[in-house]
Order: sequence, then C-alpha cells, then structure tokens
Amino acid sequence: MSISRDGLASALAAGSATLIATAGGATTEVPVTVAGRRIASLEVSPASADARTGDVIHFTARPKDAAGKAIDGLTPIWSFSPGQGLIGADGGFVGYEQGSYTVTASFGTQSAEATVTLNARDVRRPLEVVGRSPKKGHTTEEVWIHPNGKVAYLGSGGGGDVFYTLDISDPANPIVSDSMVQNTRRVNDLMTTPDGKYLVNTREGASDRKNGIVISSLADPLHPMKIAEFTDGMTGGVHSAFVYAQPKYGTHVYATNDGTGAFHIIDITDPYKPHQVGLWQTSRPESGRTLHDVDVQDGLAYLSYWNDGLVILDVGNGIKGGSPSNPVMVMQYKYDLNDMYRQVELAGGPGFIRGTHTAWRHKNYVFIADEVFPASGVQGAKDASAGRAYGRMQVIDVSDYANPKPVAFYEPEFGGVHNIWIAGDTLYMGAYNAGFRTFDISGELRGDLRAQQREMAHLNTADMEGFVKNAAMTWGVVVRDGLAYVNDMYNGLWIVRMKPKRGITP
Amino acid sequence: MTLRWSALRARESRGTRRLRILASTLTLAGVCLASRGSAQAMVPKVVPSLPEKTYTVAVASEATDEITIISFGPGGAAIQARVPIGLSDTDPDGPHGLASSPDKQFYYVSTAHGTPFGSFWKLRTSDNAILGRVTLGNFPATAQITPEGHLAFVVNFNLHGNMVPSDVSVVGVDDMVEITRIPTCTMPHGSRLNPQGTKHYSACMMDDMLVEIDVATFVVSRHFMLTKGKELGMSGAPMTVAHGETQDMSGHGMAAPAANDPTCSPTWAQPSADGTRIYVACNRTSDIVEIDVATWQMLRRIPTGSGVYNLGITHDGTKLIATNKRGQSVSIFDLPSGKELARIPTKRKVVHGVAVSGDDRYAFISVEGIGSEPGTLEIIDLRTFITVATVDVGQMAGGIDVIR
Repeated sequence: MSISRDGLASALAAGSATLIATAGGATTEVPVTVAGRRIASLEVSPASADARTGDVIHFTARPKDAAGKAIDGLTPIWSFSPGQGLIGADGGFVGYEQGSYTVTASFGTQSAEATVTLNARDVRRPLEVVGRSPKKGHTTEEVWIHPNGKVAYLGSGGGGDVFYTLDISDPANPIVSDSMVQNTRRVNDLMTTPDGKYLVNTREGASDRKNGIVISSLADPLHPMKIAEFTDGMTGGVHSAFVYAQPKYGTHVYATNDGTGAFHIIDITDPYKPHQVGLWQTSRPESGRTLHDVDVQDGLAYLSYWNDGLVILDVGNGIKGGSPSNPVMVMQYKYDLNDMYRQVELAGGPGFIRGTHTAWRHKNYVFIADEVFPASGVQGAKDASAGRAYGRMQVIDVSDYANPKPVAFYEPEFGGVHNIWIAGDTLYMGAYNAGFRTFDISGELRGDLRAQQREMAHLNTADMEGFVKNAAMTWGVVVRDGLAYVNDMYNGLWIVRMKPKRGITP
Repeated sequence: MTLRWSALRARESRGTRRLRILASTLTLAGVCLASRGSAQAMVPKVVPSLPEKTYTVAVASEATDEITIISFGPGGAAIQARVPIGLSDTDPDGPHGLASSPDKQFYYVSTAHGTPFGSFWKLRTSDNAILGRVTLGNFPATAQITPEGHLAFVVNFNLHGNMVPSDVSVVGVDDMVEITRIPTCTMPHGSRLNPQGTKHYSACMMDDMLVEIDVATFVVSRHFMLTKGKELGMSGAPMTVAHGETQDMSGHGMAAPAANDPTCSPTWAQPSADGTRIYVACNRTSDIVEIDVATWQMLRRIPTGSGVYNLGITHDGTKLIATNKRGQSVSIFDLPSGKELARIPTKRKVVHGVAVSGDDRYAFISVEGIGSEPGTLEIIDLRTFITVATVDVGQMAGGIDVIR
C-alpha cells in the first residue's frame, strides 16, 4: 500500500497491511486487507428514486467479481452532484434542493451511478393567531396547560413575583382568572401533576433567599391554592422542574439547582409533605457544573447540563436499574460549544454565554437545543437592535446509547433555539428573537433541516406595546388540542393555530 | 429573568431614564431619636437642606442585573445611568458587592450567580465602561479594594452550595487576576479592611466567628468566637467543619431567632476609623460586638434594631451606622458612648448596605425590597438624622458605595 501525506491510502497489491497514525505520543493502528479479486461489475440500488427535499434515501453498492459473485466487506466512496445535500458513508443521501441528482459509488477506478429526483418538500403552512394575553409588567416565563385543556398557567420573571392563571376555555378570549404572588422574583417554570390535581412552580430571587419549589392544590384549577413548599438545599433557586408520575414509584419533581448544578428528585406523592429522595450531579469540578433543564419520559431523565452536554439518567425505566431514589447514568453526549459558536465570540468578544439548554426525546432521537448570547450587544444600538440570541438545535440518534450520533441540526440565520415541543411529526420552537417556528420532522433526519425546507411556519411575536417595543423574544410553546400556546418574554401569551396546507394553483 | 440590553432600553424608551427626586418632596415623618434602654421619641418635621456639592453613588441590584448610578447634589437626587452587568441575558447574574477604588477612577462589582461560580468586574467610573472580569468562587459577595488600589478582597459567600468552609479571593485589580483564595470558614460574609490596609476582617455567618487575614502574607492570623456568653479571641485559623447539605441559614438574616438564642450569626465586620476596634454585626442576637484589636478581647455589646446586618463608620470615627434588616430601619450610634442616636425607618423592607460620604455628611443606604417592588437608595443626613432623599432603583438593591 501507499499512503499520501493527507492520509489517502492506495492499495497496490493483494495482501494485508497495517496503517499506523501517530500524533505526539498517541498512536493508533488500522489493519487493512487488500482483496485479490477485481471488481468486474458494480450496481447501485435503487437505480433511481423520487423523493422530496429532506427525505433520506439509502443507497447500497454491490460489487461483483468476474464470476458474478458478490464481493463483501467493501465500502465505496459515495458522492453526488449537482446541488446541495449530504451523503454518508452508509449510502444515506439527503438532498436540500429540488431537482435531479446523480449519486455515485466508487471503488478505485470502478464506479456506478443512480439517479434521484427531488421535489420541493412543500410543508409550509399558514398560521392564525387565535388569541392573546399580553403581559408587559414583567417578562413572561414558562406556560403550562392544565390536563383539562381549559386552564393555562403563566410564569413571570425580570423581578416578577407572580404566576397567572388563565381561563382558556375560549382560546380566542383568554381571561386571567387568578394570580398568585409569592416570595420570589422569578417563576421560571411551572407544571401540573399528570392528574391535574397539583401545580408545581419554581422560585428564583426570593427575598429570604430560600427559593426552591412551591406546590399548589388545583382542586379548582382556575384558582390554585398554595399547600406546601420545598427549599432544603435549593436556596440558590430552581430554574426548571419536571413533574413525572410512575405507578411503581409515585409522583416526583425532577428539579435543577441553580446554586450547585445538582439534580434533585423530590417525592410529592403526598404533595403536602414533599421530601427529597434522590440527588445526582456530573462528576467534574464544581466550577462549571450547571444544570439548566430536565425532561422525563418513559422513566428516563434527559438533563441539559450546559457545559456537560446531554445526560440521560435511568430514574425508573429499568434499563440501568435506576429509580427516583437511585438515578443511574445511561449516557452522556458532550460537544465543543466554544468551537461550535466561534462566530459569537467574533461578534461580541470573549466570555459569551453558551450551553446545552433543553432536550426532548422523540422516537430514536433526542433533540437538544443550546442557549447562546454574545458577551456584548451591538454598540450604539438599543431595543430590538441591541442584541440577539444564537444557537443550534442538534438531533442525536440514541438508538445505541453507547454510541450516540449527531445526525441532523437546525441553526437559524437570525435568533436562537430556546425551548421546543414535539407533537406527532411536528416540532414547535420558541426561537427567542427569531419568533415562533414549526418544523416537519417526519421520517429519518439527516443534515441541515433548515436547508431542506422543513420549516412549516413562522410567527414574529413582537408587539409595539410589549415589555420591549416591537421585539420578539419567544420563549417556548406548549401544544394542546391543535393549538400552540406560545409564550414570549416581552409580549405575553399567544395562542396560535397552524392551518391546513394551502393548495398551490398551477 | 433579567434582560441586559433590551429590557433596559425599554425602560429608557418609556421615558423613565432620568428620575429626579427633589428633597423638598420627601417624607420626613417616622424619624425617631432613640437611646439605649429608653423609649423612642418622635422628632418634629425638619425642612432639610440640599447639599452644596454633588455626591455620586452606585447601587447594585441583584435581581435586575444592573448598577444604578445616582447623583445627589444641589438639585436633589437623580439617576444618572443604569449600567447593565453580567454575562447572561436571560438568567440572573446577581450583582451583589460593590466597591470603589480609593482614587475613585474605577469601581468593582461582584456578580454572585454564575455557572455556578460568579465573577468580579472592573468598570471605569467616568463612563461606566467594563474594563475586565475574572471568575471567582461560589457567590462572590462583599468586596473592598486595598488603600493603595492594587488588590481586591472578595468573600466567596457560597450561599447556595453545601454548608462547607469557603474562602476569600484576592484579586490583582490592575490585570484582574485572582491571586489566591484564602480558606476561612462557612459562609464568609460582610468584610472590610482596616484603614491601614494590613488586615482584612470577615464575618463567618454559619461558624459564628470573625476571621482576621494578614494582608501581607494572605494567611488567617486570628479568629474570634462571637456566640453570646462564649466570646473568645484565638490565634491562627479556625477549625471549621462542613455543616451538611441543608443547614438552615434562617432566611439569610430575615427569620426571627428563637428566644434566648445566643448565636451571633455575624453578617458584617467593620474596623474603626483608626483600626483599633472591630465592630461585628450579630444579625441573630441583634447587637454589635466591639472587639479590641490589640488585646483581641470583646469590649462590649451594643444593642441594635432587629436583625442588624451591614455596618458603616464615619471617617472621623464618631458614628457607626447599622442597617437593621428585619427591623426595616437604620440605626446611628455615637461610638464613644455606644448610644443609639437615632433609628430611622426605611421606605421598604430588607435593609441591606451602607456607605458614608467622604465628608461624613450623608449615609447612603440600600434597601432590597420584597418581591416585585423596587429596591431603594435612601439618603440620610448625618447631622439631622433625617432621610433627605429616597430613590427607587432595581429590585434587590444591595452593594453600595460612593464612587465620586
């Protein structure tokens, strides 16, 4: 064999060889077998395909010898032209633009081709703003919908010491039915128990600096009544809390600790007597340990651990023998945030904010979204022009927990990727300055989702009378009964319906 | 949720950027003269006079990630600028401690919340430009610059972490580099250097002691146990132990103590003007312990308002000003006698910090407020003991200093 300075190996004769790569003190070896048989014919299948932009088409190449016998164990070099898209070493192809592509598999001088015709994805749909509940006294934080679908709860921040209860039985006319003032300066997160009997809200910035969580009875969902609080060890504040019930273990609050970066598990099976049963944190020096968000599905907790990436814990699923009182690590996926957001440092200088912010499990994927802000805004600018968020949403294939693979991503041209919600094959996103957006995530996902024209809808949630004039800062969304309840930090609650796809008149 | 740029600009756009409060509009009722062991007596209303020169004060608001720059002069009190501070645009950074450089060219702010460690920032006084930042420990809080202007001592309060011994950071402020961290005790809180700049004193809120650091060597030289009835000065560093994960810190000085609780729960250490005495605020017992630096013995306990919290002292050494966190008031003491000259109610609750003007004419008080109500800067005339101006600032107003 011969090998070039760039690492391209060429097989010169049949036999075996060992490729050795050395960098500093690190060395790795790759055994290579050069087959003696020559490829006499080569086929790529399917030979042709019709699909849409963003669809993943899996091609296979079948080399045969002169006797027509298949030669196994060979991996071709895949390529395609023209246009934009992606093809992997496994022959999975996704095109970003409509048109015809030629996909080629090559083994040395042998090659074969297939033809792909891609049509426009055409998933764009119109939106309708069904109702609104503007808020501008403070920033608006998390929204949650009661399981009965008729009541919404809305947090406040930026010094806000209240959460609102809204009657949304008529979504076109949401009415504030109650509000609860607490000793806090931010109700960042709130969520009901699955049976709708209790509500849990977080606190940050309390005057007595105890913070923690508050539990309210929803005997009347329109008028929550505080029944208990839990603050032990959570004086630094709780940013996010997820309420999750398991028949085997009861109902628990899975909460982040702002002060320590630890993950607390609080048993609220008896909501009047909350008590902590579990505690977990990443193994790293205290500096830099920050837990931002948690989501629990099927007994697995998905922790967005900022500098430590995505962490999945078994808290009752059983895959690792975990339980709420004994959370067990399933996997961790870390990535180089500083490198991913180099442009942010170039724009705003060193010291920018970036971290793994939220996660959502969907099928064999975990969608993770980062929160990114530059260290400084635009000099001389104000209001909406003063600054912007950045961020990337990654799609991680966790089919094999031991080998999580990033397979797709979405990064807006402007704005961030804050909170997401997935219902069916639609992903809903609060994208900070970039407003409210929805995406088609049907089928297999690979590559750049934005380039594939998977965006379905966009709403600029700005308001001239908002907390900040004419600026969107879309936080997130909860989807219920075909309506998207979109909370904007500057502009309160928006109730939005995605309407059926318009027909295109030829 | 704090919004560094956008929210601030929104406030400007609503036309509230400059808030001018004339002294003539101030409420003067509720000012009390008080003496130790005697009933308080209301004083008649007095028409205050405005200052002949202008003082500039900076106040850090922990809940809104901003520093408010307020001038107080012949025209009254006015907000000159709101300076956003912090790294995160959507999560609180929590500016807490604030200290001016001795030459007044710079001021410094600690931001308590981080990931999870906080930061220490350097700003230029003339234009509030941020000149540098360094990451410190868990919940950097009270800060002070040494007299020559090259070092900052910042306590890492570690309010939110486990109750384990923490430390004091020493920062070289020319280059904004952390030089060392000096382990002291659990929850090191309000701290001050002596006027000579040779010793640093910090209160250990959860270990009930005062710690003295030798500035020349960066080592703990002495400590002093403050529990009522068990006061004792000792040499060397204290033996401190972890208190566990969930030690009650009594609402950070807001919870009323149990009857006859002898625990001091010290929240501030204030050297006298000549450095021969140290005054320690005992938040739980609501009194001030006076310690003789030479003999390292307690001289007396001075009763205060409920929940005494931070202390300040006039440069002439005659008056001690104490914020009463639970008592919603400010006490002014005559130091030689220990007599409480006045106890002045504040507009809002959770009274926090104090800074004294260079000419000893005014005391500037920060008040946190509760929930969504604003914090306040309250300006007290130290001649008449009357609050002569009150200015609403960002929520949870804490760190304060006279910067010009």
